[in-house]
Amino acid sequence: MALAATFLGGARSRLLPASIPLRFFAAAVVFHLAAWLTLLAAGAALTPFTGGLGLPLAALHLLTLGVLVMTAIGASLQLLPVATRQSVGSPRVMALLWWGYTPGVVVLALGMAIAQPGLLAAGAATVVLSLAAYALLLGRNLWRARGMATVVTHGWVALICLLVVMLSGLSLAADYHGHGVFDRASAIGLHRVFAPYGFMGLLLLGFSYILVPMFALSETPAQRPALASAVAAIVALALAAPAAFGVQPALLWPLALAAGIVALGLHGALMLRSLRSGLRRQLGRPFVLVRIGWAGLFASLPAALALVGGAGPAWLGTVFGVLLIGGLLSCVLGMLSRIVPFLASMHAAPGRRGPPLPSALTAERPLAVHFACHLLALALLLAAVVADSAWLVRLSAAVGTVGALAFGGFFVRVCQRMQAPQRTSA
Amino acid sequence: MTTEPAALRWRDGQGEHIDVRGLAPPQPLVAILRLLHGLTAADAVVIVHHDRDPALLYPELAERGWTATHLAAPSGEVRLRLTRAA
Repeated sequence: MALAATFLGGARSRLLPASIPLRFFAAAVVFHLAAWLTLLAAGAALTPFTGGLGLPLAALHLLTLGVLVMTAIGASLQLLPVATRQSVGSPRVMALLWWGYTPGVVVLALGMAIAQPGLLAAGAATVVLSLAAYALLLGRNLWRARGMATVVTHGWVALICLLVVMLSGLSLAADYHGHGVFDRASAIGLHRVFAPYGFMGLLLLGFSYILVPMFALSETPAQRPALASAVAAIVALALAAPAAFGVQPALLWPLALAAGIVALGLHGALMLRSLRSGLRRQLGRPFVLVRIGWAGLFASLPAALALVGGAGPAWLGTVFGVLLIGGLLSCVLGMLSRIVPFLASMHAAPGRRGPPLPSALTAERPLAVHFACHLLALALLLAAVVADSAWLVRLSAAVGTVGALAFGGFFVRVCQRMQAPQRTSA
Repeated sequence: MTTEPAALRWRDGQGEHIDVRGLAPPQPLVAILRLLHGLTAADAVVIVHHDRDPALLYPELAERGWTATHLAAPSGEVRLRLTRAA
């Protein structure tokens, strides 16, 4: 056992320090709570959401930049070296990235919430600088990657989309001072597509080709259909970009969305096949969230198709947003609730009988509360938008807040157990 | 379902061998755990031939009541002996 302990210690030393991914995940947990609280304060301003500065826009960006992108950065710093067999960079640079990005998100969201364009611009500049540093780390790692064509292809496309998101975001922030690079409608069009579907979507799809077989213990999906899904996504984005600038929008938007439906449909079929063929069939509530997230993401595309066709009621635009962001959030939180105990187990000090079990480190009760609250909150939010009801928005946000607190409780419990001396395990 | 090369397996006096070198993640992990899943003997021994420290494997081994010890191996190979935890 001494040999084993020495060896396992050696393996752990090759991992990133736990503080690197966990600090990104911890920030995501806090921003998750802040987003629901901001929505609670927003109340009537969401129905109908017409854009512009204010609490709904702040809540949206607390979710997207604060939870989704924050988690994506933490997870990719941990997963990329595994996938590409290349180092991502020095832990010190990654810690600096966190110290730049996190306050940037706070300032940006505050600027949006209190409608202060100066504050918003300062936050946006900090966020973009931090994301540029992340893009460099990501690009360098992908450049040196060996094998894993599926993950690497998704990574490159996500990286290009991130650049578009940064440019369009900066343009939108600068537009409040009369210095926008693109006209406002085009920048919003680019931002709405390339942030959720391009950067977050492609990163999520790419990492799913590792995470889903890893958790389900199934064969890796075949490379050809996985790459076909990536190509369909690239076509969708390539068609959406000119459409956002007003080039043949009546033709290009539907074509882009149709290509997006093909991309997500192929990916979904591969993932479901992987889940069905896995040794581990019982993946618990986290993967129910992931499946619901996939459904939300997929459902957002027909909703967008109805929107660009000019069909549908006035609330359809907000429903589209809830389906899309709610879908991504469900996927990310589901994955996170599987990853965190697993990561904690790899980093925990081994007890007398070896490393602690992930199942011994997790906290099922808070996760169960979060699961119920998260789904109820999203359902209430959809109902609130359709019924144009401010009190339903507040009820949804209150339930979401309870869920976010429960998720925070889960995260704190896992971290405490990771640091506690291990009495029983293995 | 996959076009990736499969893990090599053979048996000798040391136990059941599995060579997962060159497989893309997470296939080494999946192949090893699938092999363990099919072993019923209490004293089963599995020798893993890997091209790196499989950090993600250890929590999964612990979850299944298995333990790993490091064996001497040629340069560029990580060799593990997996047995059921006492």
